Amino acid sequence: MLKLDDLSKHFDGVRAVDGLSLEVDQGEVFGLIGPNGSGKSTTVNLICGVLSATRGKVTFKGRDLHGLPPHRRLNAGISRTFQNIRLFGELTVWQNVWIARRDAPGREAGFIRNWFGSSARTREAIEETLVFADLAGRANDLAQNLAFGEQRRLELARAVAARPDLILLDEPAAGMNREEVEDLRQRILALKHDGITVLLVEHVMELVMGVTDRIAVLNFGKLIALGTPGEIQGNAAVREAYLGSPDSESA
Amino acid sequence: MGIDFVDIAQAIIDGLLFGSTYALIGLGFTLIFGAMHKLNLAYAASAIAGAYVGLAMITLTGLPSVLAFFLGPIASGVIGFAVYVTCFRYIPTTNMLAPLMASIGALFFIDEIVIHATAGSPLSFPAVMEDIYLEFGDFGFRGDLIFVLAISLIAMAVLMYILFRTRLGLATRAVSQQPIAAELCGIAGHRTNAITFVVTGALGGLAGCMAAAAVGVISPLLTVPITVKGLIVTVIGGLGSIPGAIIAGFAVGGFENLFLLLFGVNQRDIYVFLLLFVFLVFRPGGVFDTAIERD
Repeated sequence: MLKLDDLSKHFDGVRAVDGLSLEVDQGEVFGLIGPNGSGKSTTVNLICGVLSATRGKVTFKGRDLHGLPPHRRLNAGISRTFQNIRLFGELTVWQNVWIARRDAPGREAGFIRNWFGSSARTREAIEETLVFADLAGRANDLAQNLAFGEQRRLELARAVAARPDLILLDEPAAGMNREEVEDLRQRILALKHDGITVLLVEHVMELVMGVTDRIAVLNFGKLIALGTPGEIQGNAAVREAYLGSPDSESA
Repeated sequence: MGIDFVDIAQAIIDGLLFGSTYALIGLGFTLIFGAMHKLNLAYAASAIAGAYVGLAMITLTGLPSVLAFFLGPIASGVIGFAVYVTCFRYIPTTNMLAPLMASIGALFFIDEIVIHATAGSPLSFPAVMEDIYLEFGDFGFRGDLIFVLAISLIAMAVLMYILFRTRLGLATRAVSQQPIAAELCGIAGHRTNAITFVVTGALGGLAGCMAAAAVGVISPLLTVPITVKGLIVTVIGGLGSIPGAIIAGFAVGGFENLFLLLFGVNQRDIYVFLLLFVFLVFRPGGVFDTAIERD
């Protein structure tokens, strides 16, 4: 489904992502972990097109995404959430979801209908998305007035509203308590159940280990391990990347 | 012979009515600033040029003069799009100065074209409803200014509806609040920006036509004063605030006419600028002091 080939991004000589190659299969929940600064967020930005790669390529559903701007990648079926919440604060919850809403392929509305109208079908779908994110009661509140946890859920709702085939979750559990993490885990499983492929970048190991099918571990922009949660937990290189090697003081 | 209360009130009434054109011009600056966080200084020039095109069309074809108020805005919308493509579209968004300078270039470029096409002489512009005069006791309302006000209010209502109730308007506001997230919600920022330039251009064309109709003549000399007044309205309204621009437009119109009555045409603008300074010192965030969102 998603294939990264020798993907690299250099910032002024810093190799944020360095020759990363991996493949995410249709319908799986794929974890991407690694210490701070290991290149996880850069990878997400390269996939969704916010950054362009220094070298290498991203292939999605057999199509090379090179040169495609973010809004076209969304139309190709990739949506995402943001680590630092980026909601449209002066729009209501309902409007945030409406903006991101995309009709199913082949059922796209014309220009006028798309930009000036809202069909009953669209309103129904928005309603469903809000229920999924447990925000139905706050539909008419401004996004900037939501509590932190609700804002995180709206980020997810907005990404889901685009009807993606692949959803990129950039640290969705950051700052969440145990109960909220469990809710999030259930939602990710629901997405998987609906056939949506999930790429999860996360520091909260409880979530990563509890929801993913496979995990890739990055360190200094390179892939150092790939496997099931069980395999990753027992991997010595991963342990070293997180805790530092016994003979090194560097963090 | 002194100036009594009736004179003052009448001057303020006339000014408020004419101020609706300032409100439209201020709205145009504000919308573009809101969308791109940049000033389009060619805005008033495209408004006046659009009014010229509207005038030319009715003069050449003999169509009813009311149609100038439709054709002018359309022409201004087209000019607005051209300004977007030449001065904003291909200049990196991080470069703040280049589009500003480019739009100043466009201001004079458009102005020069108008001057050459008309040999620089003012042309008379048809007024609408000029033979109507409503009287209420001591006060009167000029029909042409009532027309200006009515059209402005309709334009503002339509604009508000688009901005706050349609997906197009919400998308435009989304781009201004979170450009990257908007792109990732499938909104092409360049496209909504281009639409903003066309819509505001049309708004400006309407304001240009009405300003010309209220004064009775149209001249390239209108461009710079309207640019300056529009910027004053935008600043007093609080850069980026839509209701602020509307209130400030009416206020500047009212005060301007009051100053005209009290101090004469030579000193009027001194006091308008003074008003600007008072706001910059005491309320730099504009009338509502909410201004723009900064990350």
